[in-house]
Amino acid sequence: MLNILVCVKQIPDVDLVKMDPETGNLIRTGVPTLTNPLDLNALEAAVQLKERYGGAITLITMGPPMAESTLRECLAVGGDEAVLITGRPFGGADTLSTSYTIVKAAERFGPFDLIFCGKESLDGATGQMASQLAERFDAAQISCCLSIEEVKDGRIRATRALESGRELVEAKLPCLVTVEKDNYYGRLPNLEAYLAAKKAPIVTCTENNIEGLDLQKIGVPGSGTIVPKIYPPELPEPGQMIRTGSVKTDVGRLLELLAEKGTL
Amino acid sequence: MAQYNTITPEVAAQLHAAVGEGRFFLREEVDPNYSHDEMPIYGKRLPEAAVDVETTEEVSAIMKICAANRIPVTCRGAGTGLVGGCVPLAGGLVLCTKRMNKILEYDMDNLVVRLQPGVLLKDLAADAQKHGLMYPPDPGEKTATVGGNISTNAGGMRAVKYGVTRDYVLALTVVLADGRVIELGKSVSKTSSGYSLLHLMIGSEGTLGIITEMTLKLIPNPVCDVSCLVPFRTVDDCIRFVPKIKLAKLDPQSIEFMDADIVTSSAAFTGNPIFPERVKNEDVGASVLVTFTGYDEEELDQKMIRLGEIAKEAGALDVLVVATSANKKSAWAARSSFLTAIEADTKLIDEMDVVVPVDKIPAFLIYIRALGDEVGIRIRNFGHAGDGNLHIYCCSNELEEDEFKRRVKIIMDRAYTKCAELEGQVSGEHSIGHAKMVYLRESVGEDVFDLMRQIKAVFDPDNILNPGKVCDSSVTM
Amino acid sequence: MNKNDYKNMWVYIEHDGKTAAPVGLELCCEVRKLCDRTGDRLYAVVIGALPETELEKVKACGVDGFILVSGTGYDFFNTDAWANAFTVLSRKYNPSAIFVGGTVDGRDFAPRFAVQLETGCTSDAMELDWDPETGDIQFIEPAVGGKIMAVITVPVLRPQVGTIRPGTFPYAPVGAKERVEVIEERIDFDPAAIRCHPVGFIPDENDPELDIAHADCIVCVGNGLKDGEHLERYRTLARLLGGKLGCTRPLYDRGILPYKLQIGQSGVMVKPKLYISFGVSGAVNHTAGVDAGLFIAVDKNPNAQIFNYCDYGIVGDMDEVCDELIARLRAGDGKLI
Repeated sequence: MLNILVCVKQIPDVDLVKMDPETGNLIRTGVPTLTNPLDLNALEAAVQLKERYGGAITLITMGPPMAESTLRECLAVGGDEAVLITGRPFGGADTLSTSYTIVKAAERFGPFDLIFCGKESLDGATGQMASQLAERFDAAQISCCLSIEEVKDGRIRATRALESGRELVEAKLPCLVTVEKDNYYGRLPNLEAYLAAKKAPIVTCTENNIEGLDLQKIGVPGSGTIVPKIYPPELPEPGQMIRTGSVKTDVGRLLELLAEKGTL
Repeated sequence: MAQYNTITPEVAAQLHAAVGEGRFFLREEVDPNYSHDEMPIYGKRLPEAAVDVETTEEVSAIMKICAANRIPVTCRGAGTGLVGGCVPLAGGLVLCTKRMNKILEYDMDNLVVRLQPGVLLKDLAADAQKHGLMYPPDPGEKTATVGGNISTNAGGMRAVKYGVTRDYVLALTVVLADGRVIELGKSVSKTSSGYSLLHLMIGSEGTLGIITEMTLKLIPNPVCDVSCLVPFRTVDDCIRFVPKIKLAKLDPQSIEFMDADIVTSSAAFTGNPIFPERVKNEDVGASVLVTFTGYDEEELDQKMIRLGEIAKEAGALDVLVVATSANKKSAWAARSSFLTAIEADTKLIDEMDVVVPVDKIPAFLIYIRALGDEVGIRIRNFGHAGDGNLHIYCCSNELEEDEFKRRVKIIMDRAYTKCAELEGQVSGEHSIGHAKMVYLRESVGEDVFDLMRQIKAVFDPDNILNPGKVCDSSVTM
Repeated sequence: MNKNDYKNMWVYIEHDGKTAAPVGLELCCEVRKLCDRTGDRLYAVVIGALPETELEKVKACGVDGFILVSGTGYDFFNTDAWANAFTVLSRKYNPSAIFVGGTVDGRDFAPRFAVQLETGCTSDAMELDWDPETGDIQFIEPAVGGKIMAVITVPVLRPQVGTIRPGTFPYAPVGAKERVEVIEERIDFDPAAIRCHPVGFIPDENDPELDIAHADCIVCVGNGLKDGEHLERYRTLARLLGGKLGCTRPLYDRGILPYKLQIGQSGVMVKPKLYISFGVSGAVNHTAGVDAGLFIAVDKNPNAQIFNYCDYGIVGDMDEVCDELIARLRAGDGKLI
């Protein structure tokens, strides 16, 4: 029986986020949200292990109250328990304070044999959370996991993707795993689970009910980094546009230009 | 036998002048794609010339020139047809509407949109959505032009709930064979005013006139939608389930059938295996995807629960829910790729799109699959089974083309006979073109076929509009 | 914590015992410039033995000194011993900043020692700047899918930790300093405390189609691609040009092409002579990975950002333009470079 934690995040659809040209702020209002796709691959890996070895999956996320919908989506696919960390004081957290917060909130559901994370989130995309969570859970880590071969006798064997090939590794439990999507496409929930997840209880953690929480280590005060400024990328001057009226003639002109440049 | 003239330099100059620079193409300038649609197996032919028109006036001018010189004119949109409808069998001129791609105006009080025929279906769908509206007809080929959809009375996935293209056409501007411009229909929801030439024009495949402007009815966009995938062990079990969904009065927007082969091909194609090949440790033989739309979530949940009950009775392996935006996107991409995926891994392909009464779907599909096995042709089918419209593809990678055609003919002949026996129709939405004319004639009988010919003669006495199609056998490949 | 007590900048030199990975050298070159402004000394940190010739290469990047770490626990790369080594060193020497190459290994252990030290960590900066008023490094990086650039700082804590992707900064050695300090540190890590062991390795098959980093010509396909069916023509074009096919991140995410063909900051950095993009929007994360001799962009959106990066642009249907190019090349209108 494995006790598994899966960390998930609700993100705005980054394709639809725009920057206010006047204020330089990001416009997130009305932008649809989704569950970070790579987190669903991590969840799938966890669900497959649960099916193989038995056990329970706890889902955890930090975010505004509406992040509940991401937990319900994941419950439908295979979570047993869901934890939402929410509250103003947690806002503005970087990975240093987020990893602290998640580990503190997850303590009462642990200890965990395995912790799963997406490789990175599509919005923040630092890719640091997994390592920092692993450190705070005092766990081994296997990143870029392609497939899990076996979990036995307090150890996990898995294949991971490196720059130049595939590496087979063996790690002690507890271990944190980040998953490549290739072999872990998320499944569709079945109807009973989908309907049950709509009504399932969600554990809400706030700054008031997480045991031993150091308020100096959460939210903005607990963050190591800040973002003092954002700005639109500076664009170079546009290149020469070829506009001759039709595709045929455009391509013809392009080939002429390339010939002049000696490129073709 | 119709006698046509070739395009002389003088006529070419007139045609050229009618459209202006860059939109008239003579002989080798003509885009080779103008010689065929998506079913090249029915033959290709290049026209002598082609024009890309932009206005009703241009079309009128072109038709006057062609009528005066007896030049055959074949109208085409995006060329996504499946029955050779836009192949210029008699040569002559191809008139392409792809540049008439403007959505002209929305009437938000009456939920009506006015547009040009070359607008692509996907562009209309997206644009209407921005206005909080939906254009209900939803044929699988989203890059078809809406003008083409009207000319073939295309159906599509949502026909089960919303009906077909015909049900959404309020008015058309049409250029007749001699160049006169007429208006058919009005922006009103009822009419009882003489013969409906509007409805005669819809589905006439460019043989009666050329549509240059359309007024279409829209509906408010449903606020929520959800799909259920119901996998079965065998194709037979799955097919037998389809009519039950309709009979349970769940009013789905669409019911789509997919067999295991097509799911595998499309997963390889899109790179996203959204539809499972195994469920509960069993191989899936075939699945149906049932989509519900509505205005509140609770209502959809109730429908899904009921669907779950009948699925269980029918021996479904499970009922899976497509509810998140990411999964809907993947499911949509997979469904849209079915035909392309078949084409990608098949050398020779032919198709039929018969329509049978809903309760006869299992009987027909079981028959055709057995027939395929008997004759030695791989039968693949998918699509919106919910309305009885079945897309059936005859495929082969091994046979020589001649042998393939011979075997397919046996299948088609017997399948259309079976279809008639089951009180079905030759084409649900792909229409007749020249490929299905014999089967149309057999299906409707001589009296009706003759009436069709007489109607054609009234509109187009010199037979210059898309000769050789629907009911005109004077020109052949 | 008093920031002023933390001095000097470190760059981690990743290596396999034989050669130093390029990213460490690239970082030394870039951080050298930063140190020249801040007055910090630049140290290269090497864990485990590296041949003298390789150390010379590092020297040539203008480092002021080396910190050479030896001891138990370094026979193979492992996150535990590496994170520990940096924590121990940092506590002893109080560096102001530590830079680590954003390789798979670097991204594993750097955020971990940042937590051990309870300090701020950033990833994937594309530019480094320094604010003399605060004394903080500015890590400048694209965010929200490349829509914005964000300046990130570590305002209170030290050291400032950053992982930076290979290929972000040019390798431009300024030459060795006359005197280079060498600090040797023995830090033993109990091998029994290493929690993750490699037990096998299968090198990727050498598929030349997947080696785009060294291609002279690249045809890059972006999210404008309708579906897999439309891909073949771009392969054909690439072949006709004697080049390779590449893609942007969405095509990898959509499962249409493998990760090894993803061009950009989080994929492969490329330096072709000729680069043609089709249906690529031009997000910074992508363009940051392209250093092209001649850059041609094709997209249907006339306002696409990609046209700001190209030499020549064509607004039009990507498939049509590609087909026309193929037709013309086949007709002999152009020959390869």
